[in-house]
Amino acid sequence: MMMVTAANTHASLSLDVIQTILPQLIVAFGIALALILVAWRRSQRTIVLFTAGVLTTALIASVNLLAIQPTVVTQLLKVDSNSAFAFSLVLVVALTSLHMSYQFLKNHIEVHDEYYLLLMLLVLGAGVLVTSHHFASLFLGFELLSISLVGLVGYHRESNYSVESGFKYLVLSASASSFMLLGIAFIYSVTGTMSFDANLPNDIYHQQNLRLFFELGILLFISGIAFKLSIAPFHFWTPDVYQGAPTPVTSLMATVSKIAMFVVLVKCVIAQRYMLHGNLQLLLIVLAIASMLIGNVLALKQSNLKRLIAYSSIAHMGYLLIVVIVISGESLAFTWQSVLFYLSAYVVANISLFLVVASLQTQCLTGDRVVKHYQEEPVLNDLQGLFWRTPSYGLLVILAILSLAGIPLTMGFIGKFYILSQATIAHAWWLIITLIVGSGISLAYYLPIIFKLFEVEPEGGNEVKKLERAVIEKVLVYSFIIIGLVFGVFPDVVSQFIVS
Amino acid sequence: MTLTFIMVTLFIAGILSWVCENRWRGSAKWCALLVLTLLATVFCIFVVTANHNFESLTVLSRVSWIDTFNIEYSIGLDQLSIVLIALTWLLAIICVLVSWQEIKHKAGFYYFNLLATIAGIIGVFVAVDMFLFFFFWEVMLLPMTAIIAIWGHENRHFAALKFFIFTQVSSLLMLVAIIATGYFHLLQTGELSFYYLDWLSLNLPLSLSQYLMIGFFIAFAVKLPSVPVHSWLPDAHTQAPTAGSVLLAGVLLKTGAYGLIRFVIFLFPEASAQFAPIAATLAVVSIVYGAKMAFAQHDFKRLVAYSSISHMGFVMLALFAFNDIAFQGAIVTMIAHGLSSAALFSLAGMIYQRIHSRSLADMGGFWQSAPRMGGFALVFAGAAFGLPGLANFIGEFFSLIGAFQTLPIFAVIAAFGLIGSAIYGMVLFQTSFQGLAKQEIIDLAPRELMICSTLFLMLLVIGLYPSLLLKFSFGA
Repeated sequence: MMMVTAANTHASLSLDVIQTILPQLIVAFGIALALILVAWRRSQRTIVLFTAGVLTTALIASVNLLAIQPTVVTQLLKVDSNSAFAFSLVLVVALTSLHMSYQFLKNHIEVHDEYYLLLMLLVLGAGVLVTSHHFASLFLGFELLSISLVGLVGYHRESNYSVESGFKYLVLSASASSFMLLGIAFIYSVTGTMSFDANLPNDIYHQQNLRLFFELGILLFISGIAFKLSIAPFHFWTPDVYQGAPTPVTSLMATVSKIAMFVVLVKCVIAQRYMLHGNLQLLLIVLAIASMLIGNVLALKQSNLKRLIAYSSIAHMGYLLIVVIVISGESLAFTWQSVLFYLSAYVVANISLFLVVASLQTQCLTGDRVVKHYQEEPVLNDLQGLFWRTPSYGLLVILAILSLAGIPLTMGFIGKFYILSQATIAHAWWLIITLIVGSGISLAYYLPIIFKLFEVEPEGGNEVKKLERAVIEKVLVYSFIIIGLVFGVFPDVVSQFIVS
Repeated sequence: MTLTFIMVTLFIAGILSWVCENRWRGSAKWCALLVLTLLATVFCIFVVTANHNFESLTVLSRVSWIDTFNIEYSIGLDQLSIVLIALTWLLAIICVLVSWQEIKHKAGFYYFNLLATIAGIIGVFVAVDMFLFFFFWEVMLLPMTAIIAIWGHENRHFAALKFFIFTQVSSLLMLVAIIATGYFHLLQTGELSFYYLDWLSLNLPLSLSQYLMIGFFIAFAVKLPSVPVHSWLPDAHTQAPTAGSVLLAGVLLKTGAYGLIRFVIFLFPEASAQFAPIAATLAVVSIVYGAKMAFAQHDFKRLVAYSSISHMGFVMLALFAFNDIAFQGAIVTMIAHGLSSAALFSLAGMIYQRIHSRSLADMGGFWQSAPRMGGFALVFAGAAFGLPGLANFIGEFFSLIGAFQTLPIFAVIAAFGLIGSAIYGMVLFQTSFQGLAKQEIIDLAPRELMICSTLFLMLLVIGLYPSLLLKFSFGA
């Protein structure tokens, strides 16, 4: 034991090991530099460019790691190709969200340096989470992520909802993390180790006297994670916070935090072999079925786009939970592939939707005069006729919605194919049936969105709404359209990155 | 290669006509018509000059597509798919012609959707890989739904939604069955495969295959449609624009029958034989129920829609009778129904253009002002109730004779459907063209005359000389 530790300590100093956590280091270093930058010169443009530079460098470093062999960095972190892929995804999303944030904040006179700092902290938290290999690093990442999100959620002070949603998120998030901490403590008290790599003996799961303790620990731990993933019945905060937070922040919450938390959940479940425990499986099945049904049913009557996406995200996490439920020791690579593919499909679709929603909110009205205005509540009717107004945006929304609904030609379909394959192999028929019912219900709110896009705009509206389009935004829109289509038709392009 | 070229060209031509319409108003329909005619010719030349006789499924190209799941892009043809694709071409051209003056709003995008639907339908008929089949199966739905949702009548969104949800949910069941069969192949041979010909050699135990069969059956029964999953059809047919109804009734329903033949009966022969009594019951209920409901309708298109349910019931009954005569009958019925329902829906569209109503209450006495249209209406209604000399008669006659050999009671009950069809056919004709003249309408224009006479001619040719179709075995 001592020797292993010594070897690890020694290894942590070498350049190779540093290289494996380079993306996280770049972000961390970037945060420190950004603080200095803020002291030196306060300018919106500078800090945005700086953040973009840091994130891009980290992205390049992270993409380089895609083919890496699993490497343990100290006891806390373990970098492998899955975590590198997840972190690259996080960085891509963060870059897109950065653009949205800039569009959102640039009209303010105030300089918002701290916003970008929080954004980078959030990314760092996600980076720690996806590579965590120990409960300590898990908790560290979890808290970094939560606290920076709390700051971001309540950021838009002029908004009617900022206090409400900020507080809601703060209180619930804090209690979730304390539950999780208690759960970790219970688990530790039984297993005696915090590492994910402990190779616990099988009988530890079946000791009668400790069983209750252990089960309670897992329950608390899972509920903490389920809160972040907004899995029913821990979902109540989701629609309110999604609605109240500024759209760029909502997009981060819907994507970055979901990627990081799900990856870490899969890691825990695989490493600690909780699945040997029958009761946990039952718990997860109940959570998955509840999420699929509750999310889809509650989304039916939403007219606010952000609330609708919130409910649909609940359902999607339910779908994805199926993969975790049917994990088996033999096909871990396939499990990772399914999870990461589904997450990428989900994330691309969500970020595309938020991109459009954000630009609808900050659209300018060109009539006799050009008026900048920020629309607080993006509703379904705002999409009316979008396909005829600005076809590229319309196409992007259509692709994103079809992807969420799991219709072929899109990544979402391949993701669903992965999940159904997993579930079929495991003979999880009840989960499959729930998934089919859930997708059936989901069409009833996804399709009307598409129909709305095709509707003719009401005649006589003298203010012709035209979307203001920066060059970067155009590039983003077209690249997401291409990503959605190409990866949907040729999923091997993505899969080859994920295959470890 | 040629088939891929045809599908890709259809899609590109769709985009092209969309662009053209934006540049020169009214050019999209010409573009679409031209491309469809050209590609139909290419297809005919390809089939005639090919050195296969297509008696069994001939794989024309096979390229690996998604390696992760060992999925291939493989397409092939046999007599069954050739006949159905030929029907698709004919109806596609008719669709363009019936939309000629009906579609004014966003015409470019309309023709894009129309051509994309046709590309998808052809894909369904040629796909040999099951994943590819499912891919096309869904892809053809999207533009079809768009056609209903954008250019349909007053209640179009509801109809499109219902249509999409019904087909989507049922096809997810099929997807699960596809995946399960693929993984069963993995268990049995050590290789994951979605290749249809691999599956044919698979040795499925009955206990498993009956569940898989039901997964496929439900998807195709929804498309066919069969009672009790038919309720999307009257709405979708009624609300769709004329070309949408023609395409739905003419070809899309046939993809359900095609699927039943190729994937339910050929892949799971034992399981479907076991399932035959249930399927036959559903078929007979569809026949009688469809006829009864058709009789009670006041909406021209809704009446024809219910009659479709009745006619497709004959197809299902014949398919589950498991003999050659019935099988031939099923195929002739499919083609005949494709032609006759397309004809009736086109007629409905023509009347709608003139009086802006689909209600039978607003019609009556049109014969006086439009005798040519009346004549065609009489013939097409006659075709629908199986008038000897027209194609439907051959199809239904063969279906019933074949079905009588194995399922006599079902065949006897199904024969009552013929009486029902005579009643609703006559109701349709009498209320619209006879009686007091409620309005005066303009008689058929040359373009419409061409549509009607082409369909009539096809019905007549098959009706008088059925060997044209019967000489093929269709892989039976």
